[in-house]
Amino acid sequence: SSGINAEWPLRPGSNMALLRGAICRLPKHNTIRVFSSTSEYKVPGTAEFFEKQKNLGRPMSPHLTIYKLQLTSGLSISHRITGAGYGALLYGFALLTVTPQGFSHWINLAETYAPGNGLMFAAKTIVLFPLMYHTVNGFRHLFWDLGKNLKIDQVYSTGKITVAISLLLTLAMVAAL
Amino acid sequence: AVVSTQSGHYGRGVLHSLTMLMSLAGRPLCRLTRQAIKPIIPTLSQVSHLSSGSPVTHWKAERYVSVLTFGAIIGAAAYPCLAVDHSLAILIPLHTHWGIEQILTDYVHGKATSKICQVLLYVCTGLTIISLLYFNQHDIGITQGIKDLWNIKQRDPAELH
Repeated sequence: SSGINAEWPLRPGSNMALLRGAICRLPKHNTIRVFSSTSEYKVPGTAEFFEKQKNLGRPMSPHLTIYKLQLTSGLSISHRITGAGYGALLYGFALLTVTPQGFSHWINLAETYAPGNGLMFAAKTIVLFPLMYHTVNGFRHLFWDLGKNLKIDQVYSTGKITVAISLLLTLAMVAAL
Repeated sequence: AVVSTQSGHYGRGVLHSLTMLMSLAGRPLCRLTRQAIKPIIPTLSQVSHLSSGSPVTHWKAERYVSVLTFGAIIGAAAYPCLAVDHSLAILIPLHTHWGIEQILTDYVHGKATSKICQVLLYVCTGLTIISLLYFNQHDIGITQGIKDLWNIKQRDPAELH
């Protein structure tokens, strides 16, 4: 089949007809092709399209390995990673609450193996910082959804403020509580 | 499928006209038909949801639940009570579920694996909500549980003996 989507009748002798004739074989006048195809493989984004592309086995250009990580993309993927990480913690916490031994059993177990105050401070900071960052960046996302701070310089400045506020909040909460 | 036919003596006129029409207008007709039936046929991402509402409503609900979750956490810090615990037990898993659902939609391809992961996520979230509600009702509750976790302290060796 031809590689050119020439849908309209071509005027004999026209530039398009010459081009088409040069690139692909013209059908004989009494041989007509019917495009009754409803296959989706040509429609980008469908499952058939991805399957066909995979079967073709074409090499893919490098992306994650070569594109420099910037504040914007770094904060964005951090928002996702912290959210997913806390999701895992949530499911783990819920699992602990319904064990036959009971939740208090696990608290006692943790207390028998708990390290000293310094390490506990560090551990609390490490556990709380992703939550604070996710919360503050969540508000940054909500500002975007309201249409604010969408210019690139604002995105960068609010991003830096986000990281600063998260760190301050974490240290304040770990110290105070 | 691409069908190639040679004109015969009989029915040449009808077949000729029909195939001329299809060769001229086949692609636009296909495109128009696909556009017409698209709203009726669910897209790949909607197929894996149990109930497909409007994506705009879903988007708005996500934002409202985010704000409500934050409010509930502040409420738990300020006025801990069973009602706040129950609202946390529903809002936090809901927010988490929608977030992880977006992650799955972005990174898990393939009809079968995507569907399996969606179902697994629904199961996990459902079990989590049930567990947390039970924990609130019959045990110390989420707020007290988090406080207990926060106050894990090394036991004084003198106390043990």
